[in-house]
Amino acid sequence: MAETDENLMLAVRAGDVSKLGLLFDRHHRALFDFFARMTGSRAIAEDLVQDVFFRILKYRATFRADSRFKAWMFHIARNARVDYYRKHHPEAVLPEDDTAGFQSPGPAPSHRLEQEEQITLLECAMFKLPAEKREVLVLSRYQEMKYEQIAEVMGCEVGTVKVRVHRALNELREIFLKLSSEKLPCNVKKSGNSLRIM
Amino acid sequence: MQCEEVRKQFADYVIDQMQEPERSLFSEHLTVCEICRTEAEELKSLWKTLGAIPSAEPSPELESRFHIMLEAYKHGLNHTSTKNWWAVVNSWISHWWPRQPVLQLGFSLGLLILGVVIGRQVYSSSTVPSISSPASTEVAELRSELTQTRQMVALSLMQQQSASDRIRGVNWSYQLQQPGGEVLTALLDTLMHDSNVNVRLATVDALRQFGDRPVVRSGVIEAMTRQESPMVQIALIDLAVDLHEKESIPTLRQLTQDRKINETVRERAQKGLAELE
Repeated sequence: MAETDENLMLAVRAGDVSKLGLLFDRHHRALFDFFARMTGSRAIAEDLVQDVFFRILKYRATFRADSRFKAWMFHIARNARVDYYRKHHPEAVLPEDDTAGFQSPGPAPSHRLEQEEQITLLECAMFKLPAEKREVLVLSRYQEMKYEQIAEVMGCEVGTVKVRVHRALNELREIFLKLSSEKLPCNVKKSGNSLRIM
Repeated sequence: MQCEEVRKQFADYVIDQMQEPERSLFSEHLTVCEICRTEAEELKSLWKTLGAIPSAEPSPELESRFHIMLEAYKHGLNHTSTKNWWAVVNSWISHWWPRQPVLQLGFSLGLLILGVVIGRQVYSSSTVPSISSPASTEVAELRSELTQTRQMVALSLMQQQSASDRIRGVNWSYQLQQPGGEVLTALLDTLMHDSNVNVRLATVDALRQFGDRPVVRSGVIEAMTRQESPMVQIALIDLAVDLHEKESIPTLRQLTQDRKINETVRERAQKGLAELE
């Protein structure tokens, strides 16, 4: 039977740091996905994943036996992302090749299906959302976290998460409808620097 | 359900985090309200499309970078922490220390109780039992009963026909450290009215030990003029002087001026006055 994340992390805390390799195998894709969706940059996302695992080692003594590893890891991930944008230029424009996957479709080519266009527009709308709103949607939709888990990651009340998700969803819909009607190019800067830990 | 209330639950509906009975009430409303139904379906479709946005895969370099970092960290850790006895002791203790706060609290309370129990054992074996212990309560009760019995004996002996019994009764009062008002009244009564001089003299001596009680001091002064026996009068004067009873000065002065009184008594009263003034 596979060891739980929590037991592995307790072993890491006790000094068996090689066990972190197993935790990396289990979670680095999820973390990368989170950072990629938050920053829009593969390079920054990879740097941040590395940073999170380094912080896990550095602060391993702060992991409590009654904590859930995933929530603890994402809590560290949020801090790592905020710190990254504090250190680096907040208005940094992402390299061209990085943003390629997030370009606006512009006038739709005849062969592109309508569904694909919708997906690209929605992706663009996500990056137009303020980071704190985008974050709750990313955690909920792609990390499949319940309200309670998100509250644990963010260190706030469940009710607060509920309200944030509600507002984020409404705002996303408004932006998406606006983009759909105007067919505007997606010229958003995917820096997400506005997020602050509450 | 009203539209406004339903709108607040759109997110729960879309994310599928709705519980019963809200879910039924919500669905019920959607069947009758077209505006809410359209909006809910739009959000649901948006959520579904959101799930279709492809996720990116990290490059293989990420994994190799991680392993380089981990190896470097392990190397650094081994280099710095070997032979560090402090860290070894710390880690050994932390191994035994419970991780869960509830266990930590329980452990701490256990230690506290153990400390209190040991403390009580040591204290009770080296000193008298504390006031609150059951054993000491019993002792206190026994003492109280003994005092009451002695009072009863003293009182009943003072009522006897035989003078020697009455003297014994008076002497019983010596065994009472805190006599009740009944015993003091009986002693003062004996001093005033007992027919036997020896009994009265013994009473004066017995009252000496309760000289701090106001009723005794005033009783002694009152008895001075009412006594007929010079011996008892002298004993009372001596007692008042020994107690430094200033209130007795007028009575003593009266005694010195009363020619009917025994000369020795007058002299003693004069002497007493000189000492008190």
